[in-house]
Amino acid sequence: MQVYKAFFKVIQKNRGQILIYLVVFMVLALLLTNTYNPPQNTDFSKVKVNIAFINDDADSLLVDGLKTYLGENANLVDLPDEPQKLQDALFFREVEYILRVPAGFTEAMLSGQDVQLEKTTVPDSTSNIYMDLLINKYLNTAQTYTTYMPGLSQADLTQYVDKDLAEQSEVTMISNGSHSANAEKSGYYFNYLSYSMFAILILGVCSVMLVFNNTDLKRRNLCSPIRSANMNLQMILGNLSFAILTWLVLISASFIMYGSFMFTTTGLLLLLNSFVFTLAALSISYLIGNIVKSRGAMSAVANVFALGTSFISGVFVPQELLGDNVLTIASFTPTYWYIKANNEIAAAVSYNADNLQSIFTSMVLVLAFGVAVLGVTLVLIKQRRVEA
Amino acid sequence: MFLFNYRYRLKCIFRDRQLMFWTFLFPVLLATLFNLAFSNLSSSDNFLKVNVAVVQNEELDQNPAFTEAINGADDLFIVQYTTRETADALLKDNQIDGYILFDSELNLVVNQSGLNQTIIREFLDDFVQSSATIVTIITTNPTALDSGILAGVSSRTEYLTAVSASQSNPDPVVNYFYALIAMTCLYGGFLGVKEVVAIQADLSAVGARINLAPTNKLTVFLSSMLAATTIQLLELLILLAFLIGVLGISFGDQIGYIALTCVAGSLTGVTFGACIGSIIKKGEGLKIGILIGSTMIMSFLAGMMSADMKYLVMTKAPILGYLNPANLITNSFYALYYYNTHTQFFTDILLLCGFTLLFSTVTYLVIRRQKYASL
Repeated sequence: MQVYKAFFKVIQKNRGQILIYLVVFMVLALLLTNTYNPPQNTDFSKVKVNIAFINDDADSLLVDGLKTYLGENANLVDLPDEPQKLQDALFFREVEYILRVPAGFTEAMLSGQDVQLEKTTVPDSTSNIYMDLLINKYLNTAQTYTTYMPGLSQADLTQYVDKDLAEQSEVTMISNGSHSANAEKSGYYFNYLSYSMFAILILGVCSVMLVFNNTDLKRRNLCSPIRSANMNLQMILGNLSFAILTWLVLISASFIMYGSFMFTTTGLLLLLNSFVFTLAALSISYLIGNIVKSRGAMSAVANVFALGTSFISGVFVPQELLGDNVLTIASFTPTYWYIKANNEIAAAVSYNADNLQSIFTSMVLVLAFGVAVLGVTLVLIKQRRVEA
Repeated sequence: MFLFNYRYRLKCIFRDRQLMFWTFLFPVLLATLFNLAFSNLSSSDNFLKVNVAVVQNEELDQNPAFTEAINGADDLFIVQYTTRETADALLKDNQIDGYILFDSELNLVVNQSGLNQTIIREFLDDFVQSSATIVTIITTNPTALDSGILAGVSSRTEYLTAVSASQSNPDPVVNYFYALIAMTCLYGGFLGVKEVVAIQADLSAVGARINLAPTNKLTVFLSSMLAATTIQLLELLILLAFLIGVLGISFGDQIGYIALTCVAGSLTGVTFGACIGSIIKKGEGLKIGILIGSTMIMSFLAGMMSADMKYLVMTKAPILGYLNPANLITNSFYALYYYNTHTQFFTDILLLCGFTLLFSTVTYLVIRRQKYASL
């Protein structure tokens, strides 16, 4: 097993670079678990938009009433009243709507004069439409009262308005079955896994191939008293065990974070899917390992390939948000199908023939990518040997 | 000597293919990927009319006011009238966001809590609440009925006037590209490291040869740095042209100030690399490692991986933002794009010049007058 041992010696020498990607992945995975909380969808709850409420008018019951009403239906964020701070908050979506109550507002409202509030929003956004509805409703209701019940005191007015606006319609939530938070979180975990998997496999396999494809070394190896079939077998074993080892390390954290969930059907399907992807990634890494000529090119290719496929296939940005033409390009990479299957597994509430067929089709496609690329690589190697 | 060295350093840098990849092609590639991935991100919160179904039954027919109201809200909803079974099926396929069922009372059926569902809810609440208002008013003031309260309630006054925050759209996606430019500027540090290595006798054979030459080391070094900056600036301008021309990223229209930011950013990047190259005495691998590592951390804090990070630093630890060259570069572009005044922009540019001066001074102090007992 000299060749097999040599394989892992080379990997050992290059562990620094490989560890970087492992650490990046672990940090991403950890951040995800702690920050991402999928919405619990058992009861209907209003979506609250973050808004800033700035009052240039004197404090009055009416302004307070409006503010309280908005506080119940949106999240009021305290912001200093400085133009740049407000601009920043809007740009980075700390708030999506800034409402400014002008001076003289209360008086104008009570006396039935025309008055306009200033809003600063993200143009054309849904939150903008929703907040407009809320604010206009409060003020229109107040106006109706002042018009038809003239002489109403401010206290009575706000009380009437509050009472009316507390009326609610019924909402029934049809649940599509219980959906565990773990499923969604682990879906993300396994999506990110593809990035690190690609980077690590390309770096590992390439660094070994660069050594073994060195012409002098190759000639020396060919005249050694080991049959070439034996040597190839050991190389294949080396590649496979490296890939499986990487897979085991990368999935290990999922057992720590999601525990027994990984042994449910969803967990096992995610594991199976990632294993299939590992094989395809290994095959592609092997091809790259046989093309790349220098170590500098190796890290360039690893970065470009891992980042590129991840970006267009929906690892960093969900597939729903990607354009159709981007996804069409992405469907020529195994990562796309891997992510597609992952998302379907994570979203499934129960498994039936329909979604299982779709999931397994994606897996078969990933595997087919692996086999096709391996075929190309073998032809390439054969041709080189003939040329040499 | 100055021009001679300048010309040859240009050639040396241009022919270093790996260097050209990381300082030029890599950012262009990343920008393309950003553009592919983020192109739909900013339009995803754009308002699209809410799809809603109304179940047709007797109760609905008895409430023409409601039908009138929902038909009047055609700027909000795309309404279809169906049977309950069809509505259920449509909801299951997510063809509609929810359906309205008149069943002695108004009832909304949804399958998730989202902003669209909240808007339908708000509309229904509005209907119920307006009825409550009418009832309250009529009970206390019955004459209101004659003075047209029903028409009064249904005619709505618009109380809101939009005031835009800036002449530019508040689109957080542009910040990713600004941070990417900042990263490219700091990657110019690769060139700085290369130039320091090429002039120090203990780091390269070329350096040893140059130190033997009867010429002023400062002159040679200045011309090397100038060559590095020239190339860095050239790469940056091509990247900028690519971003604006091909990807259509908006930078505002103050071309002169944008160019100034590029110059300041390039200088900061190249001197940053030179500084790292001269301070760290161990191998080139370590220098490059530290350069990449610190650039990545700084770009991360400037919002290259997540725009929220930049806002967090801005509001929670503004000092950190001012001490981070990547953030200063990002912020300059941001200020030009978004702010109405130039105060923030000039603060950032001045600080960048300060960093350039600091890095240059440190580099100068470290590499001057070095003597070697043996090499």
